[in-house]
Amino acid sequence: MEGSSTIARKTWELENNILTVNTPDSASDNIFYYDDTSQSKFQQEKPWETDPHYFKRVKISALALLKMVVHARSGGTIEIMGLMQGKTDGDAIIVMDAFALPVEGTETRVNAQADAYEYMVEYSQTNKLAGRLENVVGWYHSHPGYGCWLSGIDVSTQRLNQQHQEPFLAVVIDPTRTVSAGKVEIGAFRTYSEGYKPPDEPVSEYQTIPLNKIEDFGGHCKQYYSLDITYFKSSLDSHFLDLLWNKYWVNIFSSSPLLGNGDYVAGQISDLAEKLEQAENHLAHSRFGGIVPLHRKKEDESQVLTKITRDSSKITVEQVHGLMSQVIKDVLFNSVRQSNKSPTDSLDSEPLITS
Amino acid sequence: MAPSSSSGLTFKLHPLVIVNISDHYTRVKTQLNPPASICSSGNASNNGEAVFQQNPRVYGCVIGVQRGRTVEIFNSFELLCEPLNHTLDRSFLEKKQELYKKVFPDFYILGWYSTGSDAEESDMHIHKALMDINESPVYVLLNPAINHAQKDLPVTIYESELHVIDGIPQLIFAHTSYTIETVEAERISVDHVAHLKPSDGGSAATQLAAHLTGTHSAIKMLNSRIRVLYQYLAAMQEGDIPCENSLLRQVSSLLRRLPAMESERFQDNFLMEYNDKLLITYLAMITNCSSTMNEMVDKFNTAYDRNTRRGGRTAFM
Repeated sequence: MEGSSTIARKTWELENNILTVNTPDSASDNIFYYDDTSQSKFQQEKPWETDPHYFKRVKISALALLKMVVHARSGGTIEIMGLMQGKTDGDAIIVMDAFALPVEGTETRVNAQADAYEYMVEYSQTNKLAGRLENVVGWYHSHPGYGCWLSGIDVSTQRLNQQHQEPFLAVVIDPTRTVSAGKVEIGAFRTYSEGYKPPDEPVSEYQTIPLNKIEDFGGHCKQYYSLDITYFKSSLDSHFLDLLWNKYWVNIFSSSPLLGNGDYVAGQISDLAEKLEQAENHLAHSRFGGIVPLHRKKEDESQVLTKITRDSSKITVEQVHGLMSQVIKDVLFNSVRQSNKSPTDSLDSEPLITS
Repeated sequence: MAPSSSSGLTFKLHPLVIVNISDHYTRVKTQLNPPASICSSGNASNNGEAVFQQNPRVYGCVIGVQRGRTVEIFNSFELLCEPLNHTLDRSFLEKKQELYKKVFPDFYILGWYSTGSDAEESDMHIHKALMDINESPVYVLLNPAINHAQKDLPVTIYESELHVIDGIPQLIFAHTSYTIETVEAERISVDHVAHLKPSDGGSAATQLAAHLTGTHSAIKMLNSRIRVLYQYLAAMQEGDIPCENSLLRQVSSLLRRLPAMESERFQDNFLMEYNDKLLITYLAMITNCSSTMNEMVDKFNTAYDRNTRRGGRTAFM
């Protein structure tokens, strides 16, 4: 039982060039050790002041990820925020733990209220007593349903933080897309200081932004850069997580990602329809334009259309995955009757769409 | 060995608690036994007793919700404990409780946790101390020893029961069963970290592979469990094992529950959902086709267009 599933996983990993991190043993648990002296030395050196692109990677612990995602999901459609604790390690920021802040999230808030500061100070103090020695090293908040990026307010907040509380990191989580897509939607960012022109960046991974947020996204997307995220866990953690999987497999059958996210999907589709309409209007206008070089116009249109196609493919793929699960469950649990009526003619709903 | 509890409460444990406790333990252990690369001269004095601190005991509080007969444990936090006289730092607990109340107003203190292999007598002191916050606290014990042969989670939940032993009413620990409860988001992040899946989307093929692999392993598990039952029943039929009627009843009721859903309405809803998804696929394909068509027309125009003002683009031959 365990054997063939591991074989299947290994084959898949091989085919997809997954770099497996070595299973953590107690030696790699060293990451959990907090060395005060080297941390304060690093703080004094401040290598990030000379190089705005200094920090390139983020390592998030299993615990921090779990806490952040659960907190984000519990907020529903309200944005939540919290702080992360950790340390630095060369050009990587390590996030060991996260905790929630008692603030109501609204996008118009720049700073957390005084309440939250008090909370933060008290929490950090009690944590230090209880053996969590790390400092606050960043903040996280959620964008339920509209992707992982920094809005204008977020950019100014992060800029402020990076002036006074270095080293500091901003993390954004999208719990709705996490559940809908079946994988964790998370992004880590650091802002550039005002006026700094970044060298041409490689195009970041494309993500769908709903129409009403697209201006905010576009207006600020050049003012920050995203960092690579990797995860780590202790040997004990991985032991437990493996055992947990033994209890978890039931959930694959008992829950359906389609049911919980009906609103979100409907929103996505209507957003897509709006975008299409906008593109069409744009096209109609340009027909009377004329003077503007035709080639550029065509490029814009085709770009827009390509984006729309990609979005629609993404939505469809998720839906089809959900449908596949439903069909499999139906076959497993319902087709006991030997009747000629087969509820699933064929699993031909294979995504014919390639990205 | 502690007897089984009979209080009739059902316990649900969230994986976040387990990861929390494991992280707390790893932290304390690593901090006490610093890695060899860091020079030990500047370390705290209790390094001298590092020998017996190989498996430090950590203590903390578990919080959650109790609804009727169901106790759901959602989260946990660390506590300070005096190892000598086994008392908890009360003010610390209260402060922490206040902080957590602000962020999670629904959660109450349900009990406490500790690491170790078995419940000890001294644990009863702490348990009794907590009884003024919660009349019947739970005690979650996590065994941090990694034993790969063990397939079960080394987490036990104890309740306290009043038993009359030798004429004296005493509180003893009785262990209860529990289930692991999770929300979808939790499962996805646990899955993500457990199997270190690729964090970005990858191509549609990768996503499909990932999704189906997950389903495949779940089905494999189901299959193996059913096989175990089947072999057990076959052995019973042969006569190797004495017939156990209660088990037979359970198996029979399980079988009678299949097919899981048979009503007309279910079929209708299912087909409707199926058709909806097919419609979405169709629409997406149309969009894809029109986009490809658009590109093709553009390219055609660029290659064959003679009327552009830019002058002199001859048609390809």
